[in-house]
Amino acid sequence: MNTEFLDAFWIMLTGSLVAVTGALLGCYLLLRRLSLIGDAISHAVLPGIAVAFLMTGSLSSVPALLGAAVVGLLCTWAIETVQHRAGVQGDAAMGIVFTFLFAVGVILVSSLAGNADLDQECVLYGELAFVIFDQTVLGMPVSTAILLANLLLVVAVLTFGYRGFFLTTFDPAFARALGFSTVAWHYVLMSLVSLSSVVSFESVGAILVVAFLVGPAAIAHLLTDRLPMMLLLAALIGISASVGGYFLAAALNANIAGAMTVVLGVEFLGVMNVQFMRKRWRVTPSVASPT
Amino acid sequence: MVLWAALAGLLASGCAGNETPSPEKEQAVLNVVVTTGMLADAVRQIGGERVQVHALMGPGVDPHSYTASQGDIARLRRADLIVYNGLHLEGKMQEVLQNMAQTKPVLSFGEGLDPNRLRKVSSASDALDPHIWFDAALWESGVQALALRMSKQFPQHREPFLAGAARYGETLLALDQELRDVYAAIPQENRVLVTSHDAFEYFGAAYGFEVMGLQGVSTVAEFGLRDMTDMVNLLSERKIPAVFVESSVPHRSLQSVVEGCRQKGHPLVIGGELFSDAMGPEGSPEGTYVGMLRHNAALIAAALGTGGVAGGQSRIDAAAQDQTPATPQRQTP
Repeated sequence: MNTEFLDAFWIMLTGSLVAVTGALLGCYLLLRRLSLIGDAISHAVLPGIAVAFLMTGSLSSVPALLGAAVVGLLCTWAIETVQHRAGVQGDAAMGIVFTFLFAVGVILVSSLAGNADLDQECVLYGELAFVIFDQTVLGMPVSTAILLANLLLVVAVLTFGYRGFFLTTFDPAFARALGFSTVAWHYVLMSLVSLSSVVSFESVGAILVVAFLVGPAAIAHLLTDRLPMMLLLAALIGISASVGGYFLAAALNANIAGAMTVVLGVEFLGVMNVQFMRKRWRVTPSVASPT
Repeated sequence: MVLWAALAGLLASGCAGNETPSPEKEQAVLNVVVTTGMLADAVRQIGGERVQVHALMGPGVDPHSYTASQGDIARLRRADLIVYNGLHLEGKMQEVLQNMAQTKPVLSFGEGLDPNRLRKVSSASDALDPHIWFDAALWESGVQALALRMSKQFPQHREPFLAGAARYGETLLALDQELRDVYAAIPQENRVLVTSHDAFEYFGAAYGFEVMGLQGVSTVAEFGLRDMTDMVNLLSERKIPAVFVESSVPHRSLQSVVEGCRQKGHPLVIGGELFSDAMGPEGSPEGTYVGMLRHNAALIAAALGTGGVAGGQSRIDAAAQDQTPATPQRQTP
């Protein structure tokens, strides 16, 4: 098979892995009003990167990834704690935690890192287009393999814990009455989100992760209220945006992650307008019929 | 997976590959992909007609904000040789390029330099400062090393490569001397370069300037309040006539330093916009390595040259006229 085809295949597959992971987790995040968590984590990891650099003196991505993973977990746990103890809304809790962590990172970088070129962009974020130049493991690029393993983990945990996630998301009081710990389930979910985000940042960059955590779930939610259907639709929508985005990037010679995000946005606009029209169309005859 | 198989079929029929390996590759023009414009210039001078050079980061593109386009994949795939700056200028992309070294020649310009001439970014780390192109003599030594390593990869082009490097080396050494002369004419007490980020350490060491950046190398690092006060006091006390902005970095903090100095009665001006991480537009004088360094020298000499501000104004205006990317912001007291 020729290189050009294989490159396209691996990029679309890697994009789709990020998309499906984001779509599945995103559905739960959307229902818990924590959709923008990906963006929060992307900022919050800075102190982790800074500390990793100060400890190792190296700008390579392995220590940065470890530092980011630790702070990513810390961030999601802190959000839950703030939400729980201070009784504030999810978005406010996210805002408090990630701005604090990001600011700590800025202070660390500006006061201790000297002239080192240290930020997420330079040290951690990968580039989707370049996954094909990775070393290969089991015949696929390393990033793709890692993302595949991560997706399998996410699918396994969401499958085995389906009842717990379902109940604690939709009816926390009822879940508690049945003996489910809402806090514990929340920590499990948030740890998955944090791990998936940081791993994906390292392979494909931040914008794509943030987009796939929000977009597919939001579109699927416009189409259905049933969780299993929503999960399935979100995953399919994520894949379609990855594939469509690749071809858009190829046509425009544009950035691939950017193009995938644009396709996702266009899909959202399309579905939103179709649903809006359908509602109006449905309402009008029912109003007219009694007269 | 079924979906992918179906897609695979679609794609295979869709895009026919032009990846047929040519037997005459040895004789053909070498496809060289480089990261920065400065490297493109160097490789063109070394390779002449034997190379076709493409720079991933075009004119005015800050390496920090480079994002790959879909076409860059094919360019990197087709390249016979890849040259990058190294020393972490390309950030995480450096790891990608190092991976590619398994399949094709990939050379880091920085690796060819004498390690003793490189500067660390901080005492706490082994990370090195990547802004090596501001010292023309250091850059020249890198060009010679690059030509040697290119000749090793492509022995059939050895003679022309080394000849090209020798010719370009003369130009660069002449440039180095020219810059030395220009900067030597600036009064000793005025040889202080204040810019918006720390890209000019090599420049300072080579041409006898004290260099102060308002911001670290990274674009995230914020400028502390105390730094600001210290800077204003220092500029006013030492009567340094001008500070400089860079095309890729926000001007705001430098503007507040200018304001601060004016309040203290020191008529500081912004001496103009220096090229730092990228060259000017292709085809313009600043679109070459030599032109870029000359442009910076003219601006610096014009703004700091006279030792006083009164006479400096007209010279700044003169320098501003051959300035391509931006107009200098002048604060009249």
